[in-house]
Amino acid sequence: MARPSPLDTIAAFASPPGGAARAVLRISGPRVLELARGCLRDPLPAARGLLTTRFDPATGRGTWPALGLWMPGPRSYTGEDVLELHLPGAEALCALALERVVQLGARPAEPGEFTRRAFLNGRMDLTQAEGVADLVGAKNEGQRRAALRLLEGDLGRRVADLVEELLGLSALAEASLDFDEYDTGAVPRDELRAGLLRARAQLEAVRAQVAAGAPASGRVCAVLAGAPNGGKSSLFNALTGAAALVSPRAGTTRDRLEGTWRADGLAIELWDLPGLDDAAEGLDALAQDRARASLAGADLILWVASAADPRAARPPYLRELPPGAARILVWSQIDVPGARPEPPAELLGALGHPPVARVSALRGLGLDELSRATRARVGALPEVGGVSRETAGRHRMALDDAGGELEAAERVLDAEGPLDLFASHLVAAGRALEALGGSHTAEDVLDRIFARFCLGK
Amino acid sequence: MATSNGNLGRTPAGANPSQRGPRHHPHAPPAADARRAIDVLVVGGGHAGVEAALAAARLGARVALVTLRADRIGEMSCNPAIGGVAKGQLAREVDALGGAMGLATDQTGIQFRMLNSAKGFAVQGPRAQADRHRYREAVTEFVRREARIEVREDAVDELLVESSGTGHKVVGAKLASGASIHAAAVVITTGTFLSAIMHTGESQSQGGRVGEGTTRGISRDLARLGLELGRLKTGTPPRLAREGIAWDRLEPQCGDPLPLPFSFRTALEGFPTLPQVPCFLSYTDTRAHELIRANIHRAPMYAGRIQGVGPRYCPSVEDKVMRFPERERHQVFLEPEGLDTDVIYVNGLSTSLPKEVQEEFLALVPGLEKARILRHGYAVEYDFCQPAQLDPTLHVLAVPGLFLAGQINGTSGYEEAAAQGLLAGANAALWARGDDAFVLGRDEAYAGVLVDDLTALAPREPYRMFTSRAEYRLLLRQDDVDRRLVPRAAEVGLVDASHVARLEARERRLAEAVALLSGLRTPESGGKTLLEWLRRPEISVESLKAVCPAFVALELPRDLCVTLEADVKYAGYVERARLDVARAAAEESTEIPSDFDYAPVRGLGNEAREKLSRLRPRTLGAAGRIAGVNPPDVALLSIHVQRARAKDADSKITSPGAAPPS
Repeated sequence: MARPSPLDTIAAFASPPGGAARAVLRISGPRVLELARGCLRDPLPAARGLLTTRFDPATGRGTWPALGLWMPGPRSYTGEDVLELHLPGAEALCALALERVVQLGARPAEPGEFTRRAFLNGRMDLTQAEGVADLVGAKNEGQRRAALRLLEGDLGRRVADLVEELLGLSALAEASLDFDEYDTGAVPRDELRAGLLRARAQLEAVRAQVAAGAPASGRVCAVLAGAPNGGKSSLFNALTGAAALVSPRAGTTRDRLEGTWRADGLAIELWDLPGLDDAAEGLDALAQDRARASLAGADLILWVASAADPRAARPPYLRELPPGAARILVWSQIDVPGARPEPPAELLGALGHPPVARVSALRGLGLDELSRATRARVGALPEVGGVSRETAGRHRMALDDAGGELEAAERVLDAEGPLDLFASHLVAAGRALEALGGSHTAEDVLDRIFARFCLGK
Repeated sequence: MATSNGNLGRTPAGANPSQRGPRHHPHAPPAADARRAIDVLVVGGGHAGVEAALAAARLGARVALVTLRADRIGEMSCNPAIGGVAKGQLAREVDALGGAMGLATDQTGIQFRMLNSAKGFAVQGPRAQADRHRYREAVTEFVRREARIEVREDAVDELLVESSGTGHKVVGAKLASGASIHAAAVVITTGTFLSAIMHTGESQSQGGRVGEGTTRGISRDLARLGLELGRLKTGTPPRLAREGIAWDRLEPQCGDPLPLPFSFRTALEGFPTLPQVPCFLSYTDTRAHELIRANIHRAPMYAGRIQGVGPRYCPSVEDKVMRFPERERHQVFLEPEGLDTDVIYVNGLSTSLPKEVQEEFLALVPGLEKARILRHGYAVEYDFCQPAQLDPTLHVLAVPGLFLAGQINGTSGYEEAAAQGLLAGANAALWARGDDAFVLGRDEAYAGVLVDDLTALAPREPYRMFTSRAEYRLLLRQDDVDRRLVPRAAEVGLVDASHVARLEARERRLAEAVALLSGLRTPESGGKTLLEWLRRPEISVESLKAVCPAFVALELPRDLCVTLEADVKYAGYVERARLDVARAAAEESTEIPSDFDYAPVRGLGNEAREKLSRLRPRTLGAAGRIAGVNPPDVALLSIHVQRARAKDADSKITSPGAAPPS
C-alpha cells in the first residue's frame, strides 16, 4: 500500500548521490535480520558490531564486498533494528542493491522517514525535533519537485492517461455496485474487461519508460535560469562540453537542453532553459511556460545574470522561482569590458543571499569555483539524490504493485468472481499509483458516476 | 488470522481491531443542576430523533422527546422504503446497536429484496417497501413502550443557553407552550424543518413537509451560538390515487421469494408477517421530455429561486431531462404506500414544476394517462449545520450540551439519520453521566464512516452513504454486522445479554458447519475438503447441499448460509483488509489538536496547507484522506503534532500558566 506504515521495514541510501566510491544503504525495521539473511553471505553478529562480508544481489553474476554495521534496536539511530551496508558506490550497483532488499520485503523509505522514526521512537529530544521537522519538510519539497519533474513531459502524460483510465474503470465498477441496475443498466463484463486491458497496456508503457530510467536517473537536477541573453548557453556548453547554438540574440534557446556536468566529482543533470521574459509572445511564450515548469522540478537553480547587463539587478520574474530549491548566483560574462565586478545588493537580496560564483564561460574563468559552490550546496541539500534514487525505487515498486492488482482484477473477471472483489483490486491499484502523483479519491469516483449515469431511484 | 478459516470462528469480542480512536468527549461532563428532571432532551421525532431517544433511554437516561406532531413519530417523509445498497447495511447496524429501525421494517415491510445479490457479498444490501402508516405506528409503539421517554407535542421556541466568559452552553429549551425543559444535553434532529421553504413551480410556502410548519427559532439560535449554517435542497415526487392507474399495462416487479429480515432479532419462521405486494414500472418518453423542456423556465431550480444544492444521486425529473438530453426514457416506479391505502408513490419523478405541468406530464406517461394526483411533487429548501463543527460523538465542538443528528447535518436518507440519531443519543446519555464516548471506527461500521466523513468534510450536496465511501468495504458486509457491533453495543450497555447470547449461538452454528466441512471430502470436491471447495467462485452452499447430506442435516439457517459462504470466499481479502486497518491504526489514533496552526509547518504543499487549515481533520488518518494531502505531508504533520503535544505536556509540568518554553 502506498501509505507509509511504521510496521514496514524501510531502506534507502544514506550516502550522497552521484557515483561516489562507497555508498551506504541503510535498512531499518522489524525485518532487518531476515533481510540480512537473504542478501549477506555471513550472519549478523549477536550484538551490535561490524561485519565484513559479501552482498549478493541475486543477479547470478557474483557478489560484492560489503561492510555491515549492525545496530539492534532500541539502541540505534531509529530505535529499531538498523543495518548499514557499505557497498561499492557505482550508480547501477546501488540501484541493484536497493532492488534486492525491496525484493526481500523492504520498502524504499519515504523522504525523512528514518529521522521521523527516530523522533517517534523517542531517540531525539524536542530541540532536535525542530530540526527533524525542517528536514522532513525540505525532503517533502524534494519529493514534490521529483514528482513535478516526473509529471512534466511524456511520462507524465502516460501516467495521467493511466490514472484517467483507472478512474473511468473504477467509476464503471462502482456505479454498478452502488446503484440499482434499473439506474445504471447492467454493466457488461466485456466493457470492464476492455477497460482493464487498456489500463494494463498503459501501465506497461509507463513501466517501460520508468525502466528506461529517463527522469529517475538518481541525479541532482540543476537548471540554468535567468534573463534572456545572460550567457546561459555558453555556460551550459562550457560545463557539459556540448555545443548548444549560441548567439548574441535574446531567446536563442527555445527548448530545454539537457546534459551531464561533472561538478567536483559529482554527476549533475544540467538543464539549460530559455531565458524568462515576460514580454515574450507566441512560440517564445510557449517555450517559456515549459521553462517555468522545469524550474519547479529542479533541485538547484543556477541563476545566471550578466555582469555586463545593467538591467540584471531587477529581473521582474524572480518571484516565480520555486521557494524550496537551492540557489547559486552565477555572475557571468565578467570578462566583458565595463562589467560590474560584484552583483548588486538588490539582486542578492531578491535571490535570498545565495553563494556567488563569478565566471566567464568563454574564457573558462571561475568554473572550478562554481563546481565547488555547487558541490557544497548539493551536499547541504537533505538527501537530494536520495530523493531521486529512492523515488525511482518507489516508482518501480508502485508500478509493480499496481500491475499486480490489475492482474488480480483480471483473474476475478476470468473466474466470473464477484464485482466487489474486482473493484477492490482497482482501488488498490489506484492507491499504489499515489507514489507517482496519480491518486484519486472516493469523491472523484462519485463525480464520474454522476456525470455518466442518470440516477434517481 | 493467517490460517484458512481464521476469521470464521473468532470470538467476536476479542478480535475487534478498533478498540481505539478517540473515546473521550469534547467537553467536561455537565455540572449537577437541581432544576433538571430530564437528562437528554431530543428535539424532533423523525428517524434520527426516535433512535436518539431510544438509545439514550436504553442507557438509563431520562428522556424528553419534543415533536410538532406526536402522531407523526417515525414518519417516512419521502419514499416509503428502508434500506438499499449501503443504506441497508446502515439499517442493520442500527439494529445491531439495539435500535428500532430494523424491527419496525420487518414488522411492516410489504416487499423485501436483497439488492446486488449477484455482485458480491460486500455490496449486497437489503431493501424493503414499508407500509408507511404501519411503520409509523410500529415506531411510535417502540417509543411509547419505553418508560424513560416522555413525549411532548410542542415546538421549541428557543434553546436555553448559559453564557460565561469562556463561551456558551446549552442547558435545555423553552417550548411554545411556555414550559421550559432543563436537560444535561439537547439533541436536535429537526431534519429539513430549519427555515424550510417548499417550492412548487412559482409558488412558495414555508414548511419542511406538506401541512406542517418550520422551526425558524432553532436556526436563529444556532446562528447566535456561532454555528455556520448552509442551505440544501431536496425534493419529493407526486403521490397518485390507486384507481385511475392502468395497472395491467405496467410491468410488475416483485420481491424476493424467500426474503431475509433486517433485524437479527426477527425470527426467520413466519417472516415476512404482512402480505407481500409488487411494485410496478413504467417509462417516460420523448413527448414528456419535450413538455419539461418547454416549461423548464418555470422550475424553481432553473429560474434561480432555489439557492440550496440538491443531490446528484436523486435528481428531479427536470434535472434528468436537462442533464441527459440523449436519454429517450426514464423509469417511473409505482410503489404502494401501504396495504390499506390508495396512495401510490411515484419513485423517480421527484419534481418541483408547477402543478399543471406535473399533471400534463403524468398524462403522457403510459399507464398514468388517467391517474389522479393526490399530492403534487415539491422541492424543499432548508438550513443545515456545517458538520465539520461536530465531534464524532455529534457533540457541537464549540457548545457543550448541544448534539445534532440527521438531515440537520447535511445528510439525506432515513438510515443515515437513524444511525446518527443513535450515536448522538447514546453519546448524549454517556456524556451526561460522565462515561466514555461511544465512537465506531471506519473499519467497524458504515455508521463510523458516516460520522467520520461528516466531521472531516464539507458536504457539497446532501450526504448519502455509498459503499464506495468505505475503504474497508469488504469488512463491512451486511450479513455479519452483529459480529462487529453487538459486542461493542453490549460493552456500553446499548443492548442486553440476550443479544450477546444470540450472537454466540449463531457463531456456534457457524463453527459447527466449518468443522464439519473442513473434515469432509467428496468425489465432486476433487480431493479437497468441502470447505476448500466452497472457495471456488462457481461453488455455493447450494452445491454443498447437493453433495453432502451431513451438511443438509445441520439445518444451518438461511442467513447463516450467506455468512458461511461469504466467510470462506472472502477470507483472503478480509485478511488483507485487516492488515490495511492495522497499518492505518497509528495514524487513525493520532489526534491533531483542534487549534493546531498549519501556517508555520514548513514543507507542506500549498494545496495541503489550504485544505488542512480549512477542514481541520481530527486525526492524521482523516488528514490523509483529504484529496491533495499526500503521504509525505502526513509524515511531516505527524512530527509537528507530536512536538506540539510534547511541548504542551512540558509547559503543563514545568511552568503552569506561564508561556511555554520555546
